[in-house]
Amino acid sequence: MRLSRILVLWVAIAALALTACTNEASDGGGDSAPEGTSAPQAGGVTGRPVKVAFSAPGADHGWLKAITDNARKAAEDLDVDLVLSEGTNDSASQVSQVETLISQKPDVLVILPHEGGPLTPIAQQAMQAGIPVVNVDREFSTPAAFRTWIGGDNYGIGKSAADFIANELNCQGNVVEIQGVAGISVTEQRTKGFTDGIKRCNGGIKIVASQPADFLPDKGLQVMETMLQGQKDIKAVYTHDDDMAMGAVQAIRNANRQDEMFITGAGGSKDAMNLISEGDLYRATFLYNPSMSASAISLAKLIAERKGLTELVEPEVPSRIELPATTVTKENVASVQNLAY
Amino acid sequence: MAVDSPPRNALAGLRQVPIQELVLPVVIVALLVAGVIIKPDVFPTSDNLLNVLTQASITGIIAIGMTFVIATGGIDLSVGSVLAAASIAGGLLADNGTWMFMLGAVGFALLLGAINGLAITWGRVVPFIATLAMLTIARGLALWMSDKTPISLSELDILQRVGSGRVLGVPVPAIVFVLVTIAGWVLLNRTTFGRHTIAVGGNRSAARIAGIRSNRVVFAVYVLTGLCVGISAILLSGRLASASPVVGNLVELDAIAAVVIGGTALAGGKATVTGTFFGVITFALIFNLLNLLNMPSEIQGIVKGVLILAAVALQRRD
Repeated sequence: MRLSRILVLWVAIAALALTACTNEASDGGGDSAPEGTSAPQAGGVTGRPVKVAFSAPGADHGWLKAITDNARKAAEDLDVDLVLSEGTNDSASQVSQVETLISQKPDVLVILPHEGGPLTPIAQQAMQAGIPVVNVDREFSTPAAFRTWIGGDNYGIGKSAADFIANELNCQGNVVEIQGVAGISVTEQRTKGFTDGIKRCNGGIKIVASQPADFLPDKGLQVMETMLQGQKDIKAVYTHDDDMAMGAVQAIRNANRQDEMFITGAGGSKDAMNLISEGDLYRATFLYNPSMSASAISLAKLIAERKGLTELVEPEVPSRIELPATTVTKENVASVQNLAY
Repeated sequence: MAVDSPPRNALAGLRQVPIQELVLPVVIVALLVAGVIIKPDVFPTSDNLLNVLTQASITGIIAIGMTFVIATGGIDLSVGSVLAAASIAGGLLADNGTWMFMLGAVGFALLLGAINGLAITWGRVVPFIATLAMLTIARGLALWMSDKTPISLSELDILQRVGSGRVLGVPVPAIVFVLVTIAGWVLLNRTTFGRHTIAVGGNRSAARIAGIRSNRVVFAVYVLTGLCVGISAILLSGRLASASPVVGNLVELDAIAAVVIGGTALAGGKATVTGTFFGVITFALIFNLLNLLNMPSEIQGIVKGVLILAAVALQRRD
């Protein structure tokens, strides 16, 4: 109780200071909007760099590292004053991290939560205190906790993978699935999209085995090895992540069964794209692009400046932006290689 | 019965065999029988059983080192992170060939093991804390040295042959695991160092009075574990054809669990290398069976936990 009061107090102070700042800035401001952007509305930040606070889980694997790197680079390019904190891998410490960020009075808060649910209350407090929140990737449990959400399409990854595999196999054959971390929404969505997607084959494609390997390459290797023992007839391997799929690729090669099957990944890592351009075993990946953090920084800037997206008629940033799970195959890999991480 | 040395006469020996040492072989036989019944076409093939042994090898080799650490009453929580750090250290030297990779991996693991040993003996930090610190340091080093990106080792042919090759049809990692187990058994049961390890874990002041330099022994067991981790790092990187900073997650807990269900006392003073070997095999068989049955992974966690509880509860009886 006491803690939350202190918190609210801090948030209130932060908000007050922020309004003071913004007013001051707009008083002295008055420079014109850059060409091609819609005119700023009253109350937006002008005349000084927008201050964006960014919080994400510890960048301990490829995708999250790319998220942090892209955010940093976007801030540099857009001349945004970025306060970045990373390095928590549980929700409780990320909450305190966000509290610390709020105390630094950012114009906008960008959060990629470790888990959506537990980070929702603090985001909502920030919103109520007048700090707009940009939610990246894992969604908060209520829309009241974010000004705008940007993320990939997990269900779409499963759906696109199902479409791709169904086409390659003419709706006929055994498939094994290597999932991410069991019990999180990312994994559930990627599985659901896939099982829904192969329904159009009326049972022609069977998922004969499905096991989690926690997005880790060494677990991917182990799980795939055992699946290869258990299943003597596999036509395709659907995996939830490119890094993890590298372990599975190695297991298939070690067993010398690369001619029998192909594998698909998800995410869009450099290694995966290289293998795709070589062809054969690694046949596709589905983008879940970490460039979304760069877009989040630029959305944060637009929100602070009260501007909209140039190509849209509406003067404000939309409240949801879902990025498509683009299918990357040998045919189009060259055109998306610049997005690889 | 401090160590698993052969009994003087069969009858007395049988009575002295702790119930513990019979439990695991029985469990393993039960798992094998279950496998034959449930998956007769796949499970009992030599291919699959060698696969079990291969998968057990990475954690297994580490668990052999861990047996010595636990025998002294210590613990090493850092092994999973050191596994990753050693792989990366080797990976950074990979341009100079497989031998430099191996040297880098083993050397770095030995170094970190020695730091553990020094912190515990010279620095007088309790093992739990010293190795907990090393757990975070080594993971940090692995991520920092690799810039959080896996290093491809697909150019290293010899390394890949070590990781994925076979000698007379047996995968190399499985052979190395068996050799390390035999070496561990000899070291524990047939050498002065082994006797001293048990003595230091049993009663340190008595050991000191008996003229054993306990600090040297304690230092040595952490270095020994480092060596085991280094060997595992070579095998794992060979199997993955890459060095990744995120591998080895929670390997320390699997290794400790295997040592403990094997019958080595967490308090020290009592250790068995064969028990650890059986412990590792038990977990690998459970993973293999539940995976072949396509059981959800949470069931695996429950089965593993129940087994740890049951085995250690039985250990308390004797």
